[in-house]
Amino acid sequence: MDRSEILEQINAIFKDTLDNDEVTVAETTIAADVDDWDSLTHIQLVVAIEKHFKIKFTSWDIQSWNNVGEMMNTIQAKGI
Amino acid sequence: MKFTEGQLFYTTFNVSEDVYDGFISTFHDRNPLHTDATFAREKGFKDKVMHGNILNGFLSCFIGEHLPYKNVIIHTQEIQYKKPVYLNDILSFTAEIISVTESVNVIEFKFFFENSEGIKVAKGKIQIGLLL
Repeated sequence: MDRSEILEQINAIFKDTLDNDEVTVAETTIAADVDDWDSLTHIQLVVAIEKHFKIKFTSWDIQSWNNVGEMMNTIQAKGI
Repeated sequence: MKFTEGQLFYTTFNVSEDVYDGFISTFHDRNPLHTDATFAREKGFKDKVMHGNILNGFLSCFIGEHLPYKNVIIHTQEIQYKKPVYLNDILSFTAEIISVTESVNVIEFKFFFENSEGIKVAKGKIQIGLLL
């Protein structure tokens, strides 16, 4: 799957999890850029992304991310 | 503490007078459906109907007291009330782990409550976090 397609699907997950159709993330987006992206929402996003892509992150994966693009790197590294 | 997908948990809950009275004295929902048997029968029920949120209290008890690990917190829960629950019903509760997200220490269960006649009275999902 190419990165634009992954980003598109991630955006759908963000909209659903944040219950906000206006939210859009880019590869450079960080949590502070998005209203309501707090620690609990972050957990919900991780759970939703794992389910959607049928992958499992490690805690190390999650701690290594500084922005959405780095999360996408991990998703692609898991064969998506 | 290891949780695995497919793991099952069982317990029972009694919708006793104490539970019913305690719920009303705490939350003050005295809607006639819950407190007036004549009114409830006029609406097609066999007796006064217990508050659906009593079952949410049982869910809280399950998560807080019946799991083999006490450091937990509820993130989200959803419940569908399928059939009425009456005073003194004994409810069999079954929960199954449907997902384990180890990266963020999250467990998701699906659950249902069944009355003594084997009728499923409520079902839903609940997501908890493990506080490590």
